[in-house]
Amino acid sequence: MYRIGVDVGGTFTDFTLLNDITGQVSFYKVSSTPADPSQAICTGAREMLDVFGVKAEEVSFIGHGTTVATNLVIERKGTKTALLTTKGFRDILDIGRQTRPNLYDYRAVKPQILVPRSLRFEIDERVAFDGSVLKPVDVAQVDGILEKLRAADVQSVAICFLHSYRNPDHENRVRDRLRELAPDLYITASSDLLPEFREFERLSTTVLNAYAGPRMQTYLDRLSEGVKELNAPVAPYTIHSNGGLMSIPTVRQYPVRTCLSGPAAGVIGGAVLAGEAGFRHVITFDVGGTSTDVSLILDGRPQFTSSRTVADFPVKIPMIDIHVIGAGGGSIARRDDASALKVGPFSAGAVPGPVAYGRGGTEPTVTDANVVLHRLNPVTLLGGKLAVDEQAAIRVIDDQVAGPLGIDRDEASLGILRIANANMGRAIRSISSEHGHDLSRFALMAFGGAGPLHACEVAQECGIPTVIVPREPGTMCARGILLSDISLDFVRTRVAAATPETWRSVMTFFDEMRREGEEWLDGEHVSAELRSFQQLIEARYEGQNFEVTVQVAPDETLTLAEFLTRFDAAHRIEYGYDIPGRTVEVVNCRTKAVGLVPKPYNDFQPKIGGSVEEALIEHRTTYFNAGRGREKTPVYEREKLPAGVPMAGPAIVEEMSSTTVIPPATRFEIDQAGNIIISILGDAQ
Amino acid sequence: MNHQTNQAGGTPRIADPIGMEVFSNRLLTITEDMGNTLIRSSFSTNIKERKDCSVGLFDRHGRLIAQASHIPLHLGSLRGSVQAVLERFPAETIEPGMAFISNDPYLAGGTHMPDIALVTPMFAEGELRFFTANIAHHSDVGGSVPGSISAASRTVFEEGIRIPPILVVENGRIREDLLDFIASNTREPEERILDLKVQIATNERGNAALDGLVRQMGLAQVEQAIEDILNYTALRMKMRIGELGSSRGSFVCHLDDDGSGGDPVPVAVSVWVENGNLVFDFSGTGPQAKGALNVSRSALEASVFYAAKALLDPQLMPNEGMMAAVDIRAEKGLIINAQFPAAVGARSITCQKIVRSIFGAFREILPESRALSSGNDDLPTIVFSANHARRAGTYVYLETIGGGGPASAETDGMNAIHVHVTNTSNLPVEALEHEYPLMVDEYSLVERSGGAGRRRGGLGITRQITALRDGTIFSARSDGHKFPATGVAGGGDGATAHLYRNYGLPTEQALASKVTHLVLAKGENIRIETPGAGGYGLPSERTDAEVERDIADGVIAAGDLPLYGR
Repeated sequence: MYRIGVDVGGTFTDFTLLNDITGQVSFYKVSSTPADPSQAICTGAREMLDVFGVKAEEVSFIGHGTTVATNLVIERKGTKTALLTTKGFRDILDIGRQTRPNLYDYRAVKPQILVPRSLRFEIDERVAFDGSVLKPVDVAQVDGILEKLRAADVQSVAICFLHSYRNPDHENRVRDRLRELAPDLYITASSDLLPEFREFERLSTTVLNAYAGPRMQTYLDRLSEGVKELNAPVAPYTIHSNGGLMSIPTVRQYPVRTCLSGPAAGVIGGAVLAGEAGFRHVITFDVGGTSTDVSLILDGRPQFTSSRTVADFPVKIPMIDIHVIGAGGGSIARRDDASALKVGPFSAGAVPGPVAYGRGGTEPTVTDANVVLHRLNPVTLLGGKLAVDEQAAIRVIDDQVAGPLGIDRDEASLGILRIANANMGRAIRSISSEHGHDLSRFALMAFGGAGPLHACEVAQECGIPTVIVPREPGTMCARGILLSDISLDFVRTRVAAATPETWRSVMTFFDEMRREGEEWLDGEHVSAELRSFQQLIEARYEGQNFEVTVQVAPDETLTLAEFLTRFDAAHRIEYGYDIPGRTVEVVNCRTKAVGLVPKPYNDFQPKIGGSVEEALIEHRTTYFNAGRGREKTPVYEREKLPAGVPMAGPAIVEEMSSTTVIPPATRFEIDQAGNIIISILGDAQ
Repeated sequence: MNHQTNQAGGTPRIADPIGMEVFSNRLLTITEDMGNTLIRSSFSTNIKERKDCSVGLFDRHGRLIAQASHIPLHLGSLRGSVQAVLERFPAETIEPGMAFISNDPYLAGGTHMPDIALVTPMFAEGELRFFTANIAHHSDVGGSVPGSISAASRTVFEEGIRIPPILVVENGRIREDLLDFIASNTREPEERILDLKVQIATNERGNAALDGLVRQMGLAQVEQAIEDILNYTALRMKMRIGELGSSRGSFVCHLDDDGSGGDPVPVAVSVWVENGNLVFDFSGTGPQAKGALNVSRSALEASVFYAAKALLDPQLMPNEGMMAAVDIRAEKGLIINAQFPAAVGARSITCQKIVRSIFGAFREILPESRALSSGNDDLPTIVFSANHARRAGTYVYLETIGGGGPASAETDGMNAIHVHVTNTSNLPVEALEHEYPLMVDEYSLVERSGGAGRRRGGLGITRQITALRDGTIFSARSDGHKFPATGVAGGGDGATAHLYRNYGLPTEQALASKVTHLVLAKGENIRIETPGAGGYGLPSERTDAEVERDIADGVIAAGDLPLYGR
């Protein structure tokens, strides 16, 4: 049987095909179809099955990463949405945290709100912080509002009342009344989606869900239909922002959970493959055309956060903690009027793209610098599908960088790369050494089309001793989907001093969430032996407003005293001190329900008896640093390189989806899983 | 503009533009790291959540090399602390293993007493090379009121412990006796000691990172890159100033009063270019106040640097290079350059007015397309205090409230934001009600508060809070009750601010902008309505669609249509 992972990106839709029995992995890529992304998925899957001679009936799993929900928000193409909220609070969405996005620049404005003020309706009701009802809700208010919703042609409604995480009764009653009167409306109640305190973030998340919901359903219907037409006997899964898989019915209800779908899959894939290669502490380094995503893997585990934004709106859903900066192959190098050279944040993106790609780009990019220095193939890329115009890249760097700065072409091109690498290095330090992690204990897992181009020099700059480049790094997110488990997060908020009484309710929460998790896993058809649960408590010292996380093992009977000891220790690790004896407040209890997906074993067959010479494509005169000048550098075809043969940089390794640049002062070899493992010996500069 | 000509004018050359850019990434990593350490590890709400703190790197002469400031009011304000250290402890007397502490606006270049600065020398190759420094707003430093700030204070002696530059670390050891002494003069000594130790550790972390950088790059290269960064910033600032030509701008705005009642106080500024420098002349500004609205020299400089950066080049790196060409002229004894022992606790209200006047003056200098209207330039602050609901002791709930953001040629003003010298987050309603015996009745936009214009001014905020305990003490320090935020290029004024007690009840009463020690009974409420911003451009030029949308949204009323020429 075969399993398919699909990642839908802005330009390409990537596929990974895995033979369940032999463990063989194959890769495929087609152009994306942004108007209806399911089209590229279905036609691409069919083409791929044909190319590799697989019958659709042999497919046992299709999982996909999607940016549909995110794009609906970014492009403001979601559904007309209304909001019902507590009387006196309809502007919470507008006020947000009352901060401006940039301290100095008033051209930077808050995002335009997804629900206009005229569609925000107040319900006369009020629940207190302890869940008691101060003013009961009269659901008859809904009837009058519904008329206005109809008149305005609203198709989706978000409901968010104060303190509903503590007592959802009012939200439930209004939701039920709406459902009864208008079954066609898409309804998102905040206490169903995210029963967690702090009203603005809960509201923002709820509104995004409501806004993306109906169109996401349309997309999912098309996708299901397309997969049916493929004759594959499976329903597609979707990877969500915490790196877990969800079935279509769950996604239909909670589309906001998919907003960082693809990048999360890449991190999961990176963690698993690096772990198999023997590396437990890893920085994933995913460089694309416009951005670089970096993420920390500690002891094999990705890190999570619940404070991220999508298109500048807070989304408070547990997600893999990915730090994104605007640096990629398309980042533009510009000299400013005081003669400094800046690389990014402006990007040529896919269109017009780098000058060397001949799609209309007119400003020098990081990719152009890589072409000029012959680090990238100056003739064609993507296995011959993309022609490269080296002369155009040379001209633009001469005219816009080298000439005005009065330095030679190679030095100018290298300068662009050094600045881009410094930007990327800063992103890596900010998630690692700035949190007390010693980078000399880490490996850099490089993927994305441009990750392996920059990884070695970034590692040199940051003091990271090892770089790992998986096979076909440009399709890593698709592959990561095949390495993910099914999972969903649950949360309960109870802000209260940790006393024996509240401790009992904490334990009750975990029991309840365990039950809900089991029910959800029933719905996902996960058998009992494949289920697992992760639990944690977020707590703080009285007087603080930041929480520290304490892990609670599933089935563990944790006493209050043990919890307090564990909290002090966690606080000490996180902040460098603790205050034993000070009152501790419990804030959130979280449970993650996991359904393990059987992991394929990797059966990559390294070339036995092959030789480095057979893999050699050509020698190219490549520039690494000023001290060495242009030097003759071997260029290898990745799939032909034999495993276990030690080699030394400089070298360039090409494959369909990416190019790995291995500078001087390195050693490398292909490991048994087909990864390139590069040891950084020192600073080549 | 031609690159070569600039350099011919005697402006210093940048030796290595690529190396400089790579290096400035490393410097930013160090200041970010220091800032994160300070925020993550501190205990005080002010530092941890409101991020009322800053970190900086200085060279051995006290020149600012890099700064990470989380609120603009700290821009450059660490310079005063480092200079005060160098005056009291000449460079040749400074040894490894020392660190200095200070806070006083008159003795140590501070801006108000709660901002305590820590300065630590950094040695490389056996000599003093740099200083790392940080400043953090402590919740309390003693004095006559909890939180140490009252608009009604008359002298710094009422505002807490005065700390001149003194050694707090010697031979690598913290002087615990001294920390105890400082902490004992505050209301929450335990937290003070925790936070001060975090401040000391923050600089040590910065020193270690600088040391690593010097070892990796070599001292000579580091010093070269620093010169490049300062020269580059100076050159960039000079070019921005050069674009201003010879025009001159003036503006006057007014504080409602000086903090202890009395008449409005003018804050006046004239701005022009003289010998390539940008001159800010504050002649015409009112005398120093009896109350605590006075501004020290450091806080005046920070306000001016903020305004220059925001108006001329928001991406300008905060270092000595941008400050060299700024020439601030303010006589001593003005409210914006107060003399000992004037109280300065509530300086930020006046700092907002300084910025309002500078933005106003630039309307006559910059092209109209770059002008901004006035906004919520007041920093409205409310403070509730009473016994805790569920535990022993007294709570102090302090919040600064956002308001209308300025309108520009491109966009309507942002609603409900902090402007200019601050940008602190609100306390969520749900968090507030958990924490304090208070209930929020309303948190919304002030309808009809944005000034009319082609681009409408941003709307103010309404926050209405009911006390759930007898004996709840309320104070407020705010402004903008008498003078609205003005529009620009034909735009109208924003609505003024209001403060009420028992809004909507038979006992409703309008309050002045500064209120001290009002005692509320259970069930009494306070309602604050912050100012809206002025508009930009003629209201008649606003499109029909935008006017209709504003009416549908309730942002303007049908009665406002004549304002828009409809």
